[in-house]
Amino acid sequence: MSQRKSYAAGTGLFIVLGFAALVYLATQTTSVVNSHQGASYTVDAQFANVGQLKERAPVKVAGVRVGQVQSITLLPGKDVADVKLSIDRKFNQVPADSTAVIYTSGLLGDQYVGLQFGSAKNYLADGGHMTLTKSTQPLEEMLGKFFGAGGTADAFGGSFKVTAHFTNIGTLSVGAPVKMAGAAIGSVSEVKADPVKLDATVTMAINNRYNQIPDDSAAAIFTSGLIGGQYVAIQPGGSPNSLKDGDQLVLTQSAVQLEDLIGKFLVNGSSSGNNAGGNGSSNQPAGKH
Amino acid sequence: MIDTVQAQPEDRALVRVRGLTTRLNGKTVFDQLDLDIPRGKVTAIMGPSGTGKTTLLKHITGQMRGDAGEVWVDGKNVGELSRDALFELRERIGYLFQNSALLTDFDVFENVAFPLRQHTRLPEVLIRNIVLTKLQAVGLRGAASLMPSELSGGMARRVALARAIVFDPMLILYDEPFVGLDPIALNQVLKLIRTLNETLGLTSVLVAHELEAIKQVADVVYLIANGKVVAQGDPKTIAGNGSSWTRQFFGGEADGPVPFQYPADDYGQALGFKQGAV
Amino acid sequence: MSARLGHENVVVGSLAQIGRCGLFLLRILTAIPRSFRHVRETVRQLWFVGAMSLTIIMTCGLFIGMVLGLQLYHVLSIFGGTSATGSVVALAVYRELGPVVTALLFAGRAGTSVTAEIGLMRATDQIAAMEMMAVDPIAYVVAPRFLAGLIAMPLLCCVFCGLSIFGGHLVAVDWLGVDNGTFWSNMTANVKVWDDVINGLIWKSLVFGGVISLIAVFQGYTTPPTSEGVAYATTRTVVASSIAVLALDFVLTAFLM
Repeated sequence: MSQRKSYAAGTGLFIVLGFAALVYLATQTTSVVNSHQGASYTVDAQFANVGQLKERAPVKVAGVRVGQVQSITLLPGKDVADVKLSIDRKFNQVPADSTAVIYTSGLLGDQYVGLQFGSAKNYLADGGHMTLTKSTQPLEEMLGKFFGAGGTADAFGGSFKVTAHFTNIGTLSVGAPVKMAGAAIGSVSEVKADPVKLDATVTMAINNRYNQIPDDSAAAIFTSGLIGGQYVAIQPGGSPNSLKDGDQLVLTQSAVQLEDLIGKFLVNGSSSGNNAGGNGSSNQPAGKH
Repeated sequence: MIDTVQAQPEDRALVRVRGLTTRLNGKTVFDQLDLDIPRGKVTAIMGPSGTGKTTLLKHITGQMRGDAGEVWVDGKNVGELSRDALFELRERIGYLFQNSALLTDFDVFENVAFPLRQHTRLPEVLIRNIVLTKLQAVGLRGAASLMPSELSGGMARRVALARAIVFDPMLILYDEPFVGLDPIALNQVLKLIRTLNETLGLTSVLVAHELEAIKQVADVVYLIANGKVVAQGDPKTIAGNGSSWTRQFFGGEADGPVPFQYPADDYGQALGFKQGAV
Repeated sequence: MSARLGHENVVVGSLAQIGRCGLFLLRILTAIPRSFRHVRETVRQLWFVGAMSLTIIMTCGLFIGMVLGLQLYHVLSIFGGTSATGSVVALAVYRELGPVVTALLFAGRAGTSVTAEIGLMRATDQIAAMEMMAVDPIAYVVAPRFLAGLIAMPLLCCVFCGLSIFGGHLVAVDWLGVDNGTFWSNMTANVKVWDDVINGLIWKSLVFGGVISLIAVFQGYTTPPTSEGVAYATTRTVVASSIAVLALDFVLTAFLM
C-alpha cells in the first residue's frame, strides 16, 4: 500500500514538473504577448518603402508593443505601400498626428513600426489614417545614396515582361523578386549574358496589375539586408507613358559590392569583410577611391 | 452427437467434451475426443508428451477453440460464449500454471489479492482476511510480503494455488503441478490438492506424468494418445487393463505404440546401404 | 524468381505487420474506457515510463542545449549575430531536437522496457494467467502502458526543452559572454507560442509518444514467448520506433508548420 502511495506521489511530482516546464517554456521563452489577440482597432499608414517589414511585425510605442502589422499591400498605380496597423484597444489614446516610422531592431533584426506621438488632442480611431510616416532606409541607400527596398514576393494573375541590362548582377538569380517601393510586383524570369554587349540581360515578369509604371523608370539590383538575397528594385520615373510587354529599362544600376561601398566611405583599402555571402563576381568595380 | 451414451450420468459431469477435433500447424491434436470430468472428483489426464493435455485445458477455459466438436462446462458451450460470458465463467475456474505465472510486479499478498481487487469492491479488511485465509491454507501466510522472485518453485506454486482458489471456484485446473518439485514440496502440493478438493468441494483436473503421485490423489484417470482417450478408469486398476498403451505408459517401456523412433525414412537408405533399402 | 518472391513476401509481411499494429491500436482504444478502472496501474506505469526516464532526458537535454549554444555561437559570430543565439537554440529545440531526441531516448529507455516487460509477462504465462482470472490483459497491461507513454512524452519533452535552453544559456551567456538580456529578449521575440510550442513541441511529442508506445506494447504483446523472441522484439521496438519517429517528423513538420 505504502508502495503505491510513493508511486502516486512520485508520478504526481513528475506531472507537475512536466507542466511547470511547459508553462515556463510557453510564457518565459516565447512571445506570448505577441500572440495576444484582444480587441483592437485598425489604422492605416502609407510608406514609400516598407523594407523588410512583415505582416504580424510588432507596432511599438517607446519600445513597448501596442499592436501588430495586419497587412502590407501596394496601392495599384502608386509607388507607396499601404500598411494596416492593428493596435490594441487598450492603447486608444494615440494622437492623430503621430508619426509611423519603420525601425530595424539591430543590424540583423526584424523591422517593426514605431509610433512617435504627436501633440494633437484628438486620437486615432478605427479606420484612421496616419499621414506622417518615415520609411525604412535600406543599407545601400544609407551608404550609397541609392534608392531601393525589400519585402516579400507575390505574383499571380498574369504578368508582362520587360528587360534591363546590367554590367554586374552580383548573385541575382532567376526567381528573385522585383520590387517597387519595397513591395514585390514581380520576379526575375531570365538571366543571361549578352554575347555582344558583354553585359547581363535580365528579363523580369511584372504583375499585370502594375501596368502604370512609367517607361523611363530605373532598375537597380539591391541586397536585402546584410546577408540576404538580391532583388531588382524599380524606381519610377516621370514619363507619362507606361511600361508595356517587351519594353526595356534603359536606366540601370548594377549590383554594388557592400565591401566596396564601405571601403569608399570609410578608410581606404579596409576590404577585410569576407562575410556578405560571397556575392563577388567577375567585373565588379574593384575598390577604387 | 451431443447426448449419446455416457460413462457417467449427465448431471455428474461438470465438463463434457464431445467430438472435439483440433488441428495445430497441420498436426491433428484431438481426433473426435470424448471425455467427461465428474463433479467433486480429482480427475487426472495423462498421456505421452505432446498429446495436447495442456491444449485440452485451454479448450476447457476457452483460450483455444477446436475445429469441430463441443466443450460443455457447467451446462455452457464454451465455444459459443461471448467474451463477457467467457470471463464470467473463468471467474469460477481456477487455473494453476506450470510455471506459476505470478505477477512479478506484486508481492505474494497482492498476487493473491489480485483477482479480488479486479472483480470486487470489497473493503480492504475483508480482502486482507480472505487473502490471509487462503495463504494460511497453503501454509504461506508468513511469506505474504515476499516478492515472487524470492520464492522457491514449490512456494511459488503454492502461492499460485492460493490465488487460484481465492474466489472459491467450482473447478480448478492444474497444469503439470508436480514438475520440478522436490519430494517434500511434491507431497505438500499433493496434500493440498486432496484437501482442497475435499474441504471446498470443488472439482479438480490435473495434467501430469507422475504415476505415483496420481495414484495417491486421483479418482479418475484418462490416458490420452493420438488424439483419443485410449484408457480410462481409477488409477489402481487402469494400469492392469491390458491394452498396449497402458502397458507401455505405466510400465515405462521405451518402445511400443508410442515409437522410440520419430518417423523417418529408411535407416539403411539414409546411411547409403542401397541393397538394404527397397 | 525466388528472390522476387522473397521481396514480395517482405513487402506483404511489412504491410501485414502494419495492419496488425493498426488493429491492435483499435483494440487498445476500445479497451481504454475499461482501463480507467485500472487507473492506479496507469499511474504506476507513468512512474516507470515517465518519471524514471527523467534522469536521462534531463542529462541529454542539458548537453544538447550546451552543444547548440557552443556551435551556434561560433557560426553566428561569423555574421556578428551572436545575439540571435538564444532564439535559434529555442527554435531548434522546440521544433526539432526536443521532440525528436526525446522520442529517440524515450524509445530506447521506456519503449524497450515496456516491450521486454510485456514479452516476459507473456513468456511466463502472466498474460495467460490474467486471461484465466478474467482480467483483460489489453485493458490491464497494454492500455495503461500506452496511455502512460502518451502522457509522459509531452511532459518529458517540455523538461528536455527547458534543460536545453538552460544549457544553451549556460554556455552562451555564462561562458561565452552573450548578453543575458539580448539572449532572452531575442528568444521571446522570435518564439511563437502557437507555432513553436504547441504545434512544434506538444503535438509532435504527443504523436511520437503514441507511436512509440504502440510499437512497444505491440511488439511485446505479439512476441513469441521465448527468450529470443523477447530479445528480437526489444530490438525491433527501437528500430521501428526510430524509423517511425523520423519519418513522422518529416510529415508532421510539413503539415503543422
